Amino acid sequence: MKRKRITLIIVVVLLLVTAGLYFYYGFLFKEARNIAWEVPDFSITATKLSSDYNSNPQKADSLYLNKTIEITGEITRQTDSVLILENTVFCLFTQKTNEKLINKSVTVKGKCIGYDELFQEIKLDQCTINKQNN
Amino acid sequence: MKKTVLNFVAFLLIITAGTTGFSQKLITKTGSIKFQASIPSYEEVAAENKSVSAVLEQSTGDFAALVLIKGFRFKVALMEEHFNENYMESEKFSKATFKGKIEDFDSAKITNTPKNFTLKGDLTIHGKTKAVSVIIKISKAANGVTTIGSFEVKPEDFDIEIPNLVRKKIADKIKINYNFLLVK
Repeated sequence: MKRKRITLIIVVVLLLVTAGLYFYYGFLFKEARNIAWEVPDFSITATKLSSDYNSNPQKADSLYLNKTIEITGEITRQTDSVLILENTVFCLFTQKTNEKLINKSVTVKGKCIGYDELFQEIKLDQCTINKQNN
Repeated sequence: MKKTVLNFVAFLLIITAGTTGFSQKLITKTGSIKFQASIPSYEEVAAENKSVSAVLEQSTGDFAALVLIKGFRFKVALMEEHFNENYMESEKFSKATFKGKIEDFDSAKITNTPKNFTLKGDLTIHGKTKAVSVIIKISKAANGVTTIGSFEVKPEDFDIEIPNLVRKKIADKIKINYNFLLVK
């Protein structure tokens, strides 16, 4: 009888500790999103994304904002950590891109952070190159 | 003879028009803005955005900047979520902007040592606009200029409510640091 009770107490304490740890690390101090590991919600072309933003910015925001998306298009500009697809989609990388990729067609995954009116571009951050299509 | 002179004048005009007509805009799309709202001995409240857009018109000193709120990155996911959903309401107000002018700006005066200028204009955060005047340090860089500076804002000036529960953990004045490398 007594032994059963002790086992029960141990089990309850263990459960509480795991729940506590889970709450602490999995919720309260969960690390920020890692886009490179996320599965994209949308996979579209750069032209489609920019036409969506040009025709109805609000609707496009509700569709794409803060989502992980995959964009396919031709690279029209390349700097240290930035690729610009079809002159309209700005992709910021966390790591520098060393390869020369200009004028090539690629698929980039990143988080859509919104529309930049100063340069009329859609901005993505935390990008990674998913594949080169050539 | 007269005709050749006229032609020559026309030719000169075209050349000067061609060079001065070029807009002297310096731009960046990867400027950085950091903010710091920590209170000592509490958790760090800070975030950074590395994809800020800014334009400086060299001939007039007109300056504009735009930052997308969703691009601010925190160390902790929950903090980023609260920042976006509860405080900045970034679904509704997806960007913060600044439009203004650098007083007495003269590109000829810019040297390698940073020089202070006054930047005056309208700062819009959370859908609310407020006139601000800040000091901006400008120095020469390869192919352009570097502008850095910092200023403080109060959340209540932009209708950002901070619940009493966390009031003690977030500074009253939020320090904003910016660093833009503007190039041609």
